[in-house]
Amino acid sequence: MMNNPPIIQIRSIAKTYIIGRVRVAALEDVTLSVGEGRFVAISGSSGSGKSTLLNLLGGLDTPSAGTIEVAGALISAMDRNTLARYRRHQVGMIFQSFNLIPSRTALENVELPLIFSNVDKKERKHRAVELLEKVGLSHRGGHRPMELSGGEQQRVAVARALANNPRLLLADEPTGNLDSHTAKEIVGLLAELNRSRNLTVVLVSHEEGLVREYAQEVVRLRDGRVVGMESWA
Amino acid sequence: MKFRDAVEFSLASLRKRRLRTFLTASGVMIGIGALVSMISFGTGMQKNVTEAFKASDLFNTLMVMPGGPDVPSHDPDQPGRSVPSGGRRDAVLDDTAVSEIARIPGVRLAYPDVNFPALIGLGEKEEFRLVQVVPAAIAASGALKMGWGKAYSSDDEEGVVVSQSLLRRLGKVEPGAAVGQKLRITSVSIDLGKLASIDLAAVFSGQGFPVATESYDFPILGVTETTAFGGGPSPVQNEVLIPPGTARRIKRLPMTSIWDLFRMRSGRLGYSTVSVKLESLRDLERVKSRVGDMGYTTFALADQFEQVTKGFYFMDMVLAAVGMIAIVVAALGIVNTMVMSILERYREIGVMKAVGAGDGDVKRIFFFESAAIGLLGGAGGCVLGWAVSLVINRIVNFYTARQGMPYIDFFAFPVWIFAGALGFALLVSLVSGIYPARRAARVDPVVALRHD
Repeated sequence: MMNNPPIIQIRSIAKTYIIGRVRVAALEDVTLSVGEGRFVAISGSSGSGKSTLLNLLGGLDTPSAGTIEVAGALISAMDRNTLARYRRHQVGMIFQSFNLIPSRTALENVELPLIFSNVDKKERKHRAVELLEKVGLSHRGGHRPMELSGGEQQRVAVARALANNPRLLLADEPTGNLDSHTAKEIVGLLAELNRSRNLTVVLVSHEEGLVREYAQEVVRLRDGRVVGMESWA
Repeated sequence: MKFRDAVEFSLASLRKRRLRTFLTASGVMIGIGALVSMISFGTGMQKNVTEAFKASDLFNTLMVMPGGPDVPSHDPDQPGRSVPSGGRRDAVLDDTAVSEIARIPGVRLAYPDVNFPALIGLGEKEEFRLVQVVPAAIAASGALKMGWGKAYSSDDEEGVVVSQSLLRRLGKVEPGAAVGQKLRITSVSIDLGKLASIDLAAVFSGQGFPVATESYDFPILGVTETTAFGGGPSPVQNEVLIPPGTARRIKRLPMTSIWDLFRMRSGRLGYSTVSVKLESLRDLERVKSRVGDMGYTTFALADQFEQVTKGFYFMDMVLAAVGMIAIVVAALGIVNTMVMSILERYREIGVMKAVGAGDGDVKRIFFFESAAIGLLGGAGGCVLGWAVSLVINRIVNFYTARQGMPYIDFFAFPVWIFAGALGFALLVSLVSGIYPARRAARVDPVVALRHD
C-alpha cells in the first residue's frame, strides 16, 4: 500500500459532539496511517466525518478517544499552547472558502503565519514574495482578496499554508467553490508541491475524477467510519 | 508574536474602524478630561492658599493668648470662632510679658495684636472698621502687599495704611490718588465730664452712657493690594493699619468687647493676643513650649495648615470621585466596543489560530487594541481637560475682575497630572480589555472557521 515510513499514525480515534442533548458521533474507531511524502485523498458524502478528521489532523480540535501521532509527536495529547505551536510549524491548511483576511492584501495574508512564528519583517516580506511567485501570483501581491478571483484566492491560501515550511498540507475541499478548470489547476498545484517538496498532502474531496488523476491513494469514509482504502501509485 | 507586530496588528484593526475607535476613545477622553480638570482645580486651589500662607509669613507666626476659658471671637468676620483655651488663669499678657516673650531665643519679634473699632471717613463716605495697630517692622515686611505708596517706617510716624477694598467702599476707585489724602478715624471713649453726673438707673436700662467720640485725621501713606486668598487667620487682615506710637495718642476704650471686662477681674487686662514672629519654623516647638511654660496658650498656624491640607485632600477625593463616574462609563464603552469587535472578527480569529496563533497572541492583540483606545482617549482627555479649565478660568476671572478681585489661576497643571491621567487611562483600558481579550483567546477555531 505504501513504501514510505508513516508521518501520520491514527489509532482508533473517535470524535463525538454533543449538540443540545444529543450525542452525535462524527468519527468512530478510525485507524489509518499516511506515509511521508504521499498524496492521500479522503472522500465521502457530506456528514461522513471527513472535515472532522482533517481538523483533528490540523490540530484545530482534539479527539474524544484514541491517539493521533504526526511526525513522531502525539498531537492528541497536546495542550492548547503546544497545539498552536504544532499548527504553526508542522501543518499548513487550506479551506473551501479560502479564509483569507479581507482587510489585508494577498502579500500580508501570506505573511500572517510568519508573524506568529516571530520572523523578522524584512525576512517575512522576502519569503511571502517568494511564495506568491511559486503559486504564480507575484503580480497580485498588493491586491486584497475581494479583488482576486476564486482561483487566485485559493493560490494565496496555498502560499500562506506553505509559509512556515510545513511537512504536512491539509486541504479541506479546496475546489468546492471553483469551476472545474480552476479546480484542476489548484489540485495540480498541490500535486506539484507534493512531488517537488516531498510534502505530504491530505486532500478532502468528493470529486472522484480529480482524486483519481492526482492523488496516490484514497480513504473512503461513511458515517464516521473507514469503509475502504485504495492505493494506485 | 513580537511586541511590535502585535502593536501594528492592533493599530491596523483600529484604523480600519476609525469612527468606532474615535467614539470609544471619546468616552475615555471625556472621563479623563473631567478628572484632569477637577484634579487640577483642587491642586490649583491648594497651591493658591499655600502660596498666600507663605507670602504672608504665616508659617513663622505663633499666636500667644492668655490662659483661661475660651472667649468667643469678637472678630466680625468670623463669628463663633473661639480662641483655644489652656494655660494658667492668672497669666496676663501685658507689656512685660510681651518683652519677655521677645527675649526667647528664636523669636524675631513679638507684638500685641491691638485693634479698636472706629468709624473711618474719607470725604463724605464713612465705614465702621477695626483699626489694627501694627508695628512698623511688620508693616514694612513682605507680609503686606503694598500696591501704592509705602508703609510707615517708624512706630511713631504720623499716617496710616489702608486696603484697596476699603478705599473702594469709601468711593475711591483709583487707589493711587488716595495716597497723601487725609483719613478720618473717629474713636469711642468715656466722657469724663458726664461721669460725675451719671444716672446709674438710666445706664442699666441702656441709656445715658457717658460716651464721647473724637475724630483724628491721618494722611494715607500707602494702599495694600487686595489679595485673592488674603483672608484667614492673618495678623494683618484688617483694613486700616496704624503704627503703635501714633495709636497711643488716640483716645479710646482699652478694650474691644465686653468679654475683655471678664478678664479684667484681676485688675489687669493685658492683651488678648500677641503675635510672635519666629526666626525660622525650626524654632516653633521650642518657643511654643517656652511660652506654654509661662502660662500662656499658644496657637501655631503651621499646625493648623496640616488641617487645611487634609481638607484639600478630601476635596480632591470628592472631585476625583465625580470624575470616576465618567471613567466607569468610558470603561464600559471600551468593553462593549471590544466585544463587538470580537463578534465581527470571529472568523478572522479562527484564521489566525489556524495558521498558528496561540491563545496568548490573540489575547495580546485585543489587549493592545484596548490599550491603544485608552491611550488615545487619555491623551485627548489631557488636552480637553486643559482646554476646558482654561475657558472656565477665563470666564470666572472675567466676572471676578469686575468685582475688583485680582487675577487668579484656579487651575494648576503640574506634569504629574498629565502623566497620572495617561497612566490611569491606560490602566482603565487594560482592565477593560481583560474580559474581551480572554474571550477572544477562547474562540474555538473549528467553530470560527465555519462561521459566516
